[in-house]
Amino acid sequence: MRGQFPLKMAVGATAIMLLAAGCSGGGDETSAADAVISIGLGEPQHLIPSNTTESNGAEVLAALFTPLIDFDADNKPYTVAAESVESTDNKVWTIKLKDGYTFHNGEKVVADNYINAWNHAAYGPNGNGGSYFFERIEGYKDLQSKDPDGEEGPQKAPDPAAKTMTGLKKVDDLTFTVTLSEPFSGWRSVMGYTVFYPLPNAAFASEGVLKEDYEQAPIGNGPFKMKGTWQHDSKIETEAYADYAGEKPKVGGVTYKIYQEQTAQYADLMGGALDVVTQIPIENLASAPADLGDRFKTGPNSVFQFVGFPTFLPQYSKVEVRKAISMAINRKEITDNVFRGSQSPATSFVSPAVAGYRENSCGAPCTYDPAKAKADYEAAGGPKQIKITYNADGGHKAWVDATCNQLKTNLGVDCVGVGEPKFADLLTKVEKKEDVGMIRLGWIMDYPLMENYLGPLYGTGGSSNYYGYSNPEFDNLVKQGSAAPTEDEAIKLWQQAEDILARDMPVIPLRLGQNVYGHSERVKNVEVDKFQKVEILKIEATS
Amino acid sequence: MSNIESVTQAEVPTAAGVPVSPDGGSEKPRSLTGDAWEDLRRNWIFWAAAVLVLLVVVMAFFPGLFTSADPKACALSRQHQGPSGSAFFGYNFQGCDVYARTIYGARNSVLIGLFATIIAGVIGLLVGMAAGYFGGWVDSLLARGVDIVLGIPTLLAAIVLARRLSADPQDSGFWAVVFTLGVLTWTTGARIMRSSVISAKSQDYVAAARMLGAGSGRLMFRHILPNAAAPFVVVLTILLGVNISTEATLTFLGVGLKGDEISWGVDISTAAPYVRETATPLVWPSVFLAMTVLAFIMLGDAIRDAFDPRLR
Repeated sequence: MRGQFPLKMAVGATAIMLLAAGCSGGGDETSAADAVISIGLGEPQHLIPSNTTESNGAEVLAALFTPLIDFDADNKPYTVAAESVESTDNKVWTIKLKDGYTFHNGEKVVADNYINAWNHAAYGPNGNGGSYFFERIEGYKDLQSKDPDGEEGPQKAPDPAAKTMTGLKKVDDLTFTVTLSEPFSGWRSVMGYTVFYPLPNAAFASEGVLKEDYEQAPIGNGPFKMKGTWQHDSKIETEAYADYAGEKPKVGGVTYKIYQEQTAQYADLMGGALDVVTQIPIENLASAPADLGDRFKTGPNSVFQFVGFPTFLPQYSKVEVRKAISMAINRKEITDNVFRGSQSPATSFVSPAVAGYRENSCGAPCTYDPAKAKADYEAAGGPKQIKITYNADGGHKAWVDATCNQLKTNLGVDCVGVGEPKFADLLTKVEKKEDVGMIRLGWIMDYPLMENYLGPLYGTGGSSNYYGYSNPEFDNLVKQGSAAPTEDEAIKLWQQAEDILARDMPVIPLRLGQNVYGHSERVKNVEVDKFQKVEILKIEATS
Repeated sequence: MSNIESVTQAEVPTAAGVPVSPDGGSEKPRSLTGDAWEDLRRNWIFWAAAVLVLLVVVMAFFPGLFTSADPKACALSRQHQGPSGSAFFGYNFQGCDVYARTIYGARNSVLIGLFATIIAGVIGLLVGMAAGYFGGWVDSLLARGVDIVLGIPTLLAAIVLARRLSADPQDSGFWAVVFTLGVLTWTTGARIMRSSVISAKSQDYVAAARMLGAGSGRLMFRHILPNAAAPFVVVLTILLGVNISTEATLTFLGVGLKGDEISWGVDISTAAPYVRETATPLVWPSVFLAMTVLAFIMLGDAIRDAFDPRLR
């Protein structure tokens, strides 16, 4: 719906992002603490926090910035840059900042840095991909304006009514309050996301206007600072920030090497030019455990893979048809044979990474039953031809072809997988309401709340609701859940909302992801979190 | 037998009015073609290549003769199973029958090679003939044009062009590859044509025809072409093999055939990443591809040797 989210979906969910911690650049004499490791990834779309909703950019920004909130292994939020985040009514949140944090240019981090950054992020005409994260804040609507004749029309959108949100108020240099338009118990967790990083005064050319070249060398408040500028399609170099007030990193610097293909990263890992690959490509999964030995690792993440049915396609409008297709897919066979067990079958609409996950909440429609599938499909008059459109740059062909073969066999239909070059191309076709058939989609969480798997994906007008699903009852339950005073009550309501999805089947849940990564002998303590990011403060060089 | 004879004759047009005697009967004067045929008959390389080419052509048009399996019937449960009575070459990653896919893959490979070579042949013929016959500034202009096209790295240009032409993911990419190969590979043919036209046009019978009032078109196509075509046809035969392998290369690089299409290039490309697990899905299409290309090139070579008077 809004701008950049597709990228996040394309990149994050397809797990293109790989990473590699590299060598110490020939500095054999340097100690482990000074070693520069390198992390490989795909070319980031942006390096402005508020415009970064895909995983490559988020990976880099995680090194350059320190969030207010981070999450432990159990997804419990804890404060990092914030001293405290408190609220009595879940509506007005008071955020106290820790003293002593500075930006890389020496500026002290103060409340205004957050307020300015967030106002810039939310201001409609700035076109930030992550702006919808701020829509819960009071006054967000006044920062938006609608183009009277659409984007194509000659008229320009009028300036929004306000440039700053009324919900953001500075109390003193290190304290500010956030007033939400409606109570939301999960707000603390939301603020852990990339788009909530502060911006230094040096980032702004004038009030509310970012310097054009800021993202070429972002100045942040994090453990690492930029060394030089972003060398597009090549690398991004960072070094440890000496005056960092938080937990110090254990390496001297991180170089992010940019790759176009996953397999190339793996080849570099094997060849010694890369040290860590955070997502080992499917092709190498069979040989990777032998190649890497105990440096081959797996861990949980939050990826949820599914296919959606665009509502403008009448052939899929019957819920029986959608359920029959779902029942005809043998998820286990695909995760075992195509993904070599690196992913697991999804039987619910949320990932086990968040509280509130229930196994098999999808029930019978997500259980493989070819006989019933065929009978139901024929009874409901499903289409004779099925098409699955996917983005060809994300390594999806193998499983889409396998899925098609299963549908062919089990439903007796013709099935073809169509690869659009990029995810954005797929979305353009969906927007034009072309006959794209089923569309491949994926989701990686922004913040560890069950709501994140519901609202943006299935809410009416949700930011990533590309198929156009709309159910007022569902919207209502999600909203009530968000407003619930405690997380337990919220989860109960959200689970009811999930039950509606199981009934309506707007998408077919397919697989749950897992981090499958490996590293070289030059680094240790390599961990990849549920957001598919390397734990940048934990990684160490071995020599 | 008769099949092969007709192929040879079709590929080596003779001069109009010159009697052709494939058997090279001793009582008649033997033509160039007749001499060549005598030579070819005794050349085992020619026969081996001809049989292979025939086999591939039959495979391309009647794949059902070789296998009853459906190349598109795949089941993951059979993934990478080894060879068996039902699937001679085993199964690939998606659980499709490798033998069936290899047989059915011949069609796209051969047709693309054929059509691309026809396009290249037509362009090469026209350019070469015009340059050789008219000479002068036309020759200079066309020869420089040939030089320019020859200066473009074929594979690089093919990647750019093929990607451009088949931007629509629904498109199979068949005609994009045909056109790409056609417009990039005509240069050698044109040069060969030009030189043989130059040598043919100074012959007495051409002068005689001209004096009898024959126009340029008639001279070119009725008198010069039949006598200058043999080396050109040889080049095209070799080019056919090269085009088949270039198609596989393009497809392997992801800019050739795509989607549901079955071809050797597609299968080699999809099997390559799993070669460390099982090699057969990669090996068999590669072997068929290599044999086909080799067959066409050997055939062209044998015919060239037969027609080259210096080798007599």
